[in-house]
Amino acid sequence: MTGAIGKPVPLVDGVEKVTGRARYTADLDSRDALVGRILRAPVSHGWILAVDTARAEALPGVIAVVTGQDCDMTFGVIPIAMNEYPMARDRIRYRGEPVAAVAALDAATAAQALELIEVEIEELPACYTPAQSRAPDATQLHDKKPGNLEREVHHTFGSVAEGFAEADLVCEEMFDCAEVNHAQMEPHAALAEYDPEEERLTLHSVTQVPFYVHLMLARCLGMDTSRVRVVKPFVGGGFGARTETLNFEIITALLARKVGGKVMMRLSREESFVTHRGRPATQVKLKLGLTKTGRITAVNCEVVMSGGAYAGYGLVTILYAGALLHGIYEIANVQYDGYRVYTNHPPCGAMRGHGTVDVRHAFECLLDRMARQLGLDPFAVRRANLLTAPMFTPNGLMVNSYGLDECLDKVEAASGWATRKGSLGPGRGLGLACSHYVSGAAKPVHWTGEPHAVVSMKLDFDGSVTVLTGASDIGQGSTTIVALAAAEVMSIDLGRIRVVTNDSVITPKDNGSYSSRVTFMVGNAAIGAARAMRAKLVAAAAKKLEVEPDEVECEGETFFVRGSSQSVLPFQDVAIAALAEEGTITVKGTFSTPVEAQGGKQRGGAVGSTMGFSYGAQVVEVSVDEATGQIDIERVWVALDCGFAINPLAVEGQIEGSVWMGMGQGLCEETHYIDGLPAHANLTDYRFPTIADAPPIDVHIVESIDPLGPFGAKEAGEGALSGFPPALVNAVADAMGVDVNFLPVTPDRLLEAMIKFARTQRRKETMT
Amino acid sequence: MSEAMAPFRLIRPASLDEAMAALAVEGAQPCSGGTDLLVRLRKGLLEPAALVDLTGIAALRDVVCDESGMWVGAGATLATLARNPDLAAYPAVIQAIDSVAGPTHREVATLGGNLCQDPRCVYLNQSHWWRKSNQFCLKYRGDTCHVAPKGNRCRAAFSGDVAPALMVHRAQIELAGPAGARQMPLAEFYNEDGAAHTALQPGEIVVAVHLPPPGPVSEYGKVRVRGSVDYPLAGVAVACEPTPDGLRFTLAVTGTNSKPLLVDIPDPLGEDADAFFAALVKTVQKAVSPQRTTTIAPHYRRLSVAALAGRIARRLAADAP
Repeated sequence: MTGAIGKPVPLVDGVEKVTGRARYTADLDSRDALVGRILRAPVSHGWILAVDTARAEALPGVIAVVTGQDCDMTFGVIPIAMNEYPMARDRIRYRGEPVAAVAALDAATAAQALELIEVEIEELPACYTPAQSRAPDATQLHDKKPGNLEREVHHTFGSVAEGFAEADLVCEEMFDCAEVNHAQMEPHAALAEYDPEEERLTLHSVTQVPFYVHLMLARCLGMDTSRVRVVKPFVGGGFGARTETLNFEIITALLARKVGGKVMMRLSREESFVTHRGRPATQVKLKLGLTKTGRITAVNCEVVMSGGAYAGYGLVTILYAGALLHGIYEIANVQYDGYRVYTNHPPCGAMRGHGTVDVRHAFECLLDRMARQLGLDPFAVRRANLLTAPMFTPNGLMVNSYGLDECLDKVEAASGWATRKGSLGPGRGLGLACSHYVSGAAKPVHWTGEPHAVVSMKLDFDGSVTVLTGASDIGQGSTTIVALAAAEVMSIDLGRIRVVTNDSVITPKDNGSYSSRVTFMVGNAAIGAARAMRAKLVAAAAKKLEVEPDEVECEGETFFVRGSSQSVLPFQDVAIAALAEEGTITVKGTFSTPVEAQGGKQRGGAVGSTMGFSYGAQVVEVSVDEATGQIDIERVWVALDCGFAINPLAVEGQIEGSVWMGMGQGLCEETHYIDGLPAHANLTDYRFPTIADAPPIDVHIVESIDPLGPFGAKEAGEGALSGFPPALVNAVADAMGVDVNFLPVTPDRLLEAMIKFARTQRRKETMT
Repeated sequence: MSEAMAPFRLIRPASLDEAMAALAVEGAQPCSGGTDLLVRLRKGLLEPAALVDLTGIAALRDVVCDESGMWVGAGATLATLARNPDLAAYPAVIQAIDSVAGPTHREVATLGGNLCQDPRCVYLNQSHWWRKSNQFCLKYRGDTCHVAPKGNRCRAAFSGDVAPALMVHRAQIELAGPAGARQMPLAEFYNEDGAAHTALQPGEIVVAVHLPPPGPVSEYGKVRVRGSVDYPLAGVAVACEPTPDGLRFTLAVTGTNSKPLLVDIPDPLGEDADAFFAALVKTVQKAVSPQRTTTIAPHYRRLSVAALAGRIARRLAADAP
């Protein structure tokens, strides 16, 4: 190591962001652009009988109107499940679904034009819950999907019945977790420009996955991919909201082509919410078997997800929910039954901690309650089930590094658990939970055989190093990771490096920022590129020093013969020598996943497969107001095994962000529909925690050094999220004696639960 | 921000007289900090022909404290008032001000604006598309109150924090309009109607609030999900002062009705304190009528605000001189 990595570094694009210089999609120059706006469905379910755009088209200032009839191609992120049109064609399946769109000279005209489009609809009965959708007489939302089941999963590993027979205690409970939305800071926006002479399209968008957007634009517009260019400017948060192509991106492109020019589409906060792709409302029925010593003998888990109107990532979510029952504890016998159900709500999708959060919630809550019954400490029951790496789980997941034991030790000591648990006084309590997450999926969504990541690098006459990557920095700091990897391997100053990202005509293709793949995959590819560049420089230095390349060391922008202090060449001289050989030097590095990391042989076995899991443990301290049901988070202690912290400052930020988001889902965030209308679609009614609710978060980084990770690193941006909600609920149980089986634990629900609990207690007392 | 505002004329009077003249024009709407109004304009909840910006009128920003009490101009910002040492003698008022929205809102939001704040409802404070898809509502462009479809009035909930705190200190409100100036107890300024919740007549504005000299101890408590930004799901101001018969309590509740509600506690605190406070809690529970105007259940708002009232009353009784 030469010192670029392992120490806290501010993000390389941080100053631009905090000074306001960074330009996000909505900030791009739109002076010569038309204003795009979308007409959205007023009903939850219905047949479109007619769309009359004549009056809108006749309005002065309206340049173009498009409807579902302008695009007969579906889009979607999973090649076998593309069942969504950019604008509804024959059928509306949720309130807010795009039906038509206009491009006008100004926003007021565009708004007026929407009012003039007449849509004739024959309403159909709507289903808002899985129970309604699965009822025998329910209207079917999609052809070939009887029972409105998008996907059911049935996976059994080991002997579940035998496992339960071995148990000393078997418990089953049902947990209801509300739907949540990413509520990323930046509302959706896209800027599309179509050049009718060249027949080329350029789209700037807020996406996490420019490559997928590129493919879908070409598909839906019937264009050759070579005629499409996708650029991702600065992005103000994603969290999964933008890990698939979104309807407004295609609609903006359709409008731009129709007008033969430029269209700016800025969605409102409400529209950003309606575009959705959040974490589905999930019901988890969980049964666990435990021995007296706390060993888990068997798991039976049934999950029902309310997926919304279209497929999206749905089948991946329902597979993840089952797959990630594995990989954190030693469990031989697991049965999983998952049901992803269509409903007449906006489509769900991927959200930070994709698939695992609600199941982990149920698991960590039930495990805690059973430990209580068995008289075991929450730490002890978890320690009784630790894995030993390296190993493969029953469902074929590879675990090469495992720092959960150390995470437990850290939070146990830091929180003062041994002395404080049980002695905090009335209304105050401590709760523990563990969690894990993948570092990128070992099999990509689009299986082409290409490497998962490619990074290219250029060294030129000015001595600067340009790194080209398609990795989407969405605020998580991936650009900084790429720069640090290059600086470390080449032992050069960070200031010598510029990272160019996300322009399909310049940067190498990248699958995008999702499932925490970037540090692991792109980091490794960046290391590969930097090594190739260093080899060129070392060769040039060796020639100048008249030694063999393997005798040359490079450190701190100098090259020298190992063991000699006399012949030292500065970077600039070596670069000039290397350029003299071949001119501008370009190299690249790639990363592909090893086949053994790609999961089990069962159907859907690739989902959950990864090169390495992060592991987290966290303790939450709460105080509960008995009169109002309000919970204060007093403090959080969290430890995450991220393999190796390439940039500890960024890791700490990601862990805090995960805790924060978990806190939102645990305490107060949820969507709320009134007959399919989103009543929550603004930032006063969608209540994510504010800075006034900020608890002190005590972050501990655990480094298990993963053998395949870049410098030993694994993911750091998602793993800590799913620990918060169960740690919260376990803490509330510690404080008040009440076990709650719902998320979020809002004051109204908690107060009701406490009143019921008190009533039950009184009844028990009078009976005895 | 794709929700385009309808065009309007902006008028910036420099004096109260100029303001009166400007407001006499059909479709003119007064505006101060704009924190409440701007959002409603964006959502298409009103389309005024002209906005009359009152922030240029220096006299409306005056705060005067003398032996008759405090005279607080309607144009004083909440942030300014929070820092006013004289207002500290009315603790509930300061606490209520500090609990309004977030710090940046309070920098521009004014006292007058807060008192006139439009009642809120989950069926109302939505986009044009949303409301249109739901056939609008009784308050604006529709004919049904979705909260209480059988009723004939708007149930939107008054959601200001400051009014109840001023009410328990017996504040008077001073208005100016085409028919001249008038003054009334703040409690009488409000109506139990979400579509017409104040006594303001066309062209009339709030000029000031008058607080009598400090007397009772007081406290404001707010039920909300988050520690900031949130409107009150319910809020309660409690004042307590000694009388020859014992401690007397005055309560005012916000967030549960279309107006801030004075809750009368006729009897002073007697021998049996537990019974007294239990009865006080019951009285609040009975007095308020929260509706389905938010995503949080009415029953919870009733229970929690009553419990909060009881807790504050006990605390004040313990601290009372």
